[in-house]
Amino acid sequence: MSLINDMNDMNDMNDKENESISKALEEALKSFEAKTKQVSAGYFDQFELDLMQKIKAQKQTPKRAPIITLFLEHKQYLVAASLIFAIATGFLFFNNPEKNTTTIAKVELIEIETLPDELIEAYVNNNEPVAEVEWNSAIEAAGTNLISTNQ
Amino acid sequence: MTDQALITQFQNGESKEAAFTQLLKSHQAQVFFQIKKMVLEHADADDIAQAVWIKVWNKLDGFKQESAFSTWLFRVAYNETLNFIAQKKRLKTQSTQNELDHGLEHPASQDALKETAIQIKLERAIAELPEKQRFVFMLRYYNAFDYEKIAAITGTTVGGAKANYHQAVKKMTSMLEQA
Repeated sequence: MSLINDMNDMNDMNDKENESISKALEEALKSFEAKTKQVSAGYFDQFELDLMQKIKAQKQTPKRAPIITLFLEHKQYLVAASLIFAIATGFLFFNNPEKNTTTIAKVELIEIETLPDELIEAYVNNNEPVAEVEWNSAIEAAGTNLISTNQ
Repeated sequence: MTDQALITQFQNGESKEAAFTQLLKSHQAQVFFQIKKMVLEHADADDIAQAVWIKVWNKLDGFKQESAFSTWLFRVAYNETLNFIAQKKRLKTQSTQNELDHGLEHPASQDALKETAIQIKLERAIAELPEKQRFVFMLRYYNAFDYEKIAAITGTTVGGAKANYHQAVKKMTSMLEQA
């Protein structure tokens, strides 16, 4: 044990020898310490008061961390609940027959009402010959039928 | 009462404030002057010291007493000081750096005018030391901490701490010798 102590002492002596510094530096370091050690009277008492006030204020401020922790702990349940809600809402919305009918009816109504007169006229003009042809064919067919019946 | 007993008292929740105040009274001056030697400005040292002690209050419940309280405390102070210096460096523009350099060369205050050239040179040399070297030097020279403790505080090896000290001495000596 004493051998270890002796070795430690020798190490300390070696450290001190190695740490020898110039006189000029030593003097300057002394002045530097004196300068940095200048504080106003009662500074440390005031420091203590200020610090304890800060600590008390910190204690009174509500911490947000527990809420975040709670959210993180039950995150999977919140996600699952949101998904179920979204699926259920979507299912009800897309599978409501009344709503679908109303929507289609509304769309048809809107389409008819919003058709401009020019478009209707153009449609009639374009389709008139076709209608005539169809009408003539129908008369002819009826006439043929009459002839064959009379015969 | 020993630090150990005060920490146990704090951790058990028995008159926490009283235990903390006792610890503060025992160590605050040593910690404050160490920080002030690092940053030089009183207001900066005050801000850092407040931050250090608030951290101690917040983390003391989890302190396992595997090392001495003072080692842990100075480690907190070391980290806070280095963070502060890094933050300040980021905020500094080139122009403000030039102003500071100019201020060091031509100190304006009455106190500064009274300082000898050698003291100004020393402050400049200290300011130019890398933060770790500066912290190690101050711990060893002014607080006479052993190298094991310094190594634990600064997160280095004993050899690393010794090297830092010697480098600091060498640089300061050479700066002082410059005409």
